[in-house]
Amino acid sequence: MTRKICITVNGAAREAEVPTYRTLLDCLRYDLALTGSKEGCGVGVCGACTVLLDDKMVSSCITLAVFADGHEVTTVEGLASDERLHPVQQAFVDFGGFQCGICTPGQVVAAKALLDTVENPTEAQIRDWMLGNLCRCTGYYKIVESIQAAAKQERP
Amino acid sequence: MPHRIVGQPIARRDGADKVTGAARFTADVTLPGLVWGKALRSPLPHARIRRIDTSKARALPGVLAVLTAADMPDVLVGRRMFDMPVLARDRVRFIGEKVAVVAAADPEVAEEALALIDVEYEDLPAIIDLTKALDSDAPVVHDNPGAYDGAPAERPHANVQSVLRFKLGDIEAGFREADRIFEHSFRTQLAHQGYLEPHAGVVAIDANGRVQVWASNKMPHRLKELMALALQLPQDRIRVNLTPIGGDFGGKGSLMDLPLAYHLAHVTGRPVKMVMRYAEELMAGNPRHPSVITFRTGVTSDGRIVARQVKALFNSGAYAAFKPALSVHLGGASMGAGVYRIPNLLIESYCVYTNNIPCGHARSPGEPQMIFAGESHMDMMAKELGLDPAEFRRRNLLGDGDLLANGHHLEHVRAQETLAAALEASHWSAPKPGPWIGRGVAMTHRHIGVGFTNARVRLEANGMVTLLIGLPDTGTGAHLTLRQVVAEVLGLALDEVQVEAASTDIFETDSGVGGSRVTHTGGQAATHAAEKLKEMLAAEAAKLGTPGGSVRTIAQAVAREGRTLEASYFFDAKSHAAVTAFTAQVAEVAVDPETGQVSVRHFTTTHDVGTIINPIGHQGQIEGGLIQGLGYALMEELPTEDGRISTLNLGECKLPTICDIPPLTTVLLEDPVGPGPFRAKSIGEGSTSPVAPAIANAVADACGVRILDLPITAEKIYFALKAGKQRS
Repeated sequence: MTRKICITVNGAAREAEVPTYRTLLDCLRYDLALTGSKEGCGVGVCGACTVLLDDKMVSSCITLAVFADGHEVTTVEGLASDERLHPVQQAFVDFGGFQCGICTPGQVVAAKALLDTVENPTEAQIRDWMLGNLCRCTGYYKIVESIQAAAKQERP
Repeated sequence: MPHRIVGQPIARRDGADKVTGAARFTADVTLPGLVWGKALRSPLPHARIRRIDTSKARALPGVLAVLTAADMPDVLVGRRMFDMPVLARDRVRFIGEKVAVVAAADPEVAEEALALIDVEYEDLPAIIDLTKALDSDAPVVHDNPGAYDGAPAERPHANVQSVLRFKLGDIEAGFREADRIFEHSFRTQLAHQGYLEPHAGVVAIDANGRVQVWASNKMPHRLKELMALALQLPQDRIRVNLTPIGGDFGGKGSLMDLPLAYHLAHVTGRPVKMVMRYAEELMAGNPRHPSVITFRTGVTSDGRIVARQVKALFNSGAYAAFKPALSVHLGGASMGAGVYRIPNLLIESYCVYTNNIPCGHARSPGEPQMIFAGESHMDMMAKELGLDPAEFRRRNLLGDGDLLANGHHLEHVRAQETLAAALEASHWSAPKPGPWIGRGVAMTHRHIGVGFTNARVRLEANGMVTLLIGLPDTGTGAHLTLRQVVAEVLGLALDEVQVEAASTDIFETDSGVGGSRVTHTGGQAATHAAEKLKEMLAAEAAKLGTPGGSVRTIAQAVAREGRTLEASYFFDAKSHAAVTAFTAQVAEVAVDPETGQVSVRHFTTTHDVGTIINPIGHQGQIEGGLIQGLGYALMEELPTEDGRISTLNLGECKLPTICDIPPLTTVLLEDPVGPGPFRAKSIGEGSTSPVAPAIANAVADACGVRILDLPITAEKIYFALKAGKQRS
């Protein structure tokens, strides 16, 4: 069974005809060609597929596309504006907050959501918020540093 | 002379692509008409395949092809030893082995079709337990492994894949010299590399009949060679296109599903994408070998090691196909002597077939196993000898001119300095801040890698210089490192140099990524190519009558004449240099006496380093490798029951999270004597191996419990504490 859905993705209305069992992640990646969000674990624990659904963080790999019908979705592709990186993105680049980059789309979306919620988070708040975003390359130290720098709008 | 660009903390130039989602990994590659391939896997550890009925799957609307072994040539694949079928032909040898494959336009339809394939199996006796696999009556995994291409000759039992032996001096005489002899056995667990990008591949047969491959594979040229063998095609019919790789840690060098993707593409006439689900990664990736390792060491009364015998068994699972070394073994097996001078040494290491998941390479293959055993053993002996564990190490550390187990001699050895710096930074001798708190030390060393790489540098008409390189960037920032060395040599700004990842059509060969070699082989090739281009530029400048003229002016002049300035270099490091890189680490832990829970209060990691080309990337390697070591020490495990991995999800196999990282002190002892470009040493594999023994030693110091098998869980400590209480 398929259904026609309409999602506002990164500010633009997008339509797709999807099987009702299709995940939001597959819909974004394969129906809407937004391959920035990644599938890692596929079961909602690694965070590589993190997107914002009406400003709330969700794992798009365990969210059905039809649930997003009529809602707003923000993906990693929607963070930069006018060729300017979001401060979180800029900080991940400047401070080595990524290596291979496969978890990075989810990391920066989660970190943006954190800074939208808590302006100047403590290290403990950063760790608590980012718990659901695994990274195997960095050992996380530079992710913490990147988010702290983004909060303070610091450049090296 | 100080460097301009080498040594600067320059940010990754691929950063914008990675943080905006623009980077195209293999799973992101799409082509017109692309369809999906999915594999059906065996539910049994050892069975004969009686019959496979694919008729229902074929009839499912949307299914384009269903293939079994009967539909493809009877070819065995592997990296060095060719013992693995592309699809199981008559027998399955582990849970997760592929038996059939489906192509469909939708991935969901392909998965639905798998459930409609009916396979009739006849159970065979399975050998699961590593320690029983070499018994005379153990079931045999392969009837005649010696007949496989690439099989090593020595085979004391049909379940032995390979044997490695390292010998120094005379151990009989050495043990006669000893006042005390200690023997301890250790076990390590099955563990996945944990890259978050599961294996992915796209195969398309283009209009010219060439096989175009995109793959999460770190050795594109070797992949081309292996694909040619697997598909029975000439190598020039295959082109591997480079993509960024979503983490490797040793695990991304095999064919995985690529031959199947090819067969599906061939049958359907469509490009085929196959992406493993993470459950498939955990069930049938190529994880780190579990091991059982016994150390026997003879020591004199003044704490000098005079003899050691090591016997290691590595559980290699059902196939040897994932091992890339000619020895079909793990390099870490040679690390039985650790960082110590042991005049009389015998290491015997066995890679053993069982009906488990086939294991492969993981960051410093075999070494975390050996170093956990060896460095735990050191502390256990120190305790018996009444010596401080650091002092016992000091008396036995390698020095200039000493030999490693593999007979390699060392120069410019900095083991003592590295240990001393770690002890100082960690306040080793200071009183501990409270009860149930302990400190542990552990060490290792790591050579810069060997291998071969082609580099080409080309002057563009606009004055930019392009570096062509056949090495993919697995995430380490290797391409930035290479840009830095080229910019340094040519006197250009970093952004006047660009890197182009060369497909396998460009160069004849390349050993790819692995074994702490990329900065060395890629960096040396790029440096030498850039030096050649520099000479050409000087000659052009002289011709133009403008010595010292800008590169841009020369580029324009050359372009006007329709010429291209280009220089190539092939760098081939065949043997290890005499200089190695030492690591010393100290863990300070607290053990909860009620629950056995370990918390790492502080971690100190000290590295003997050469020239650091990029401090951000260098530190990133240390931190990432260290937290992988922490996971291996405390939490990561793929437990198996009767050959079935019981944690087929990334939540259950417990990779460290951002909440698990301890406060960290890094000490870098810089001394530019490395064999690498600009006198660099390796760093990618130096921080992982000692973490587990440092923590195990700290736990023993904190609560008297000696953990002999990884991971060091709260349960193990809790029960040991409880047993201790009952005894007293």
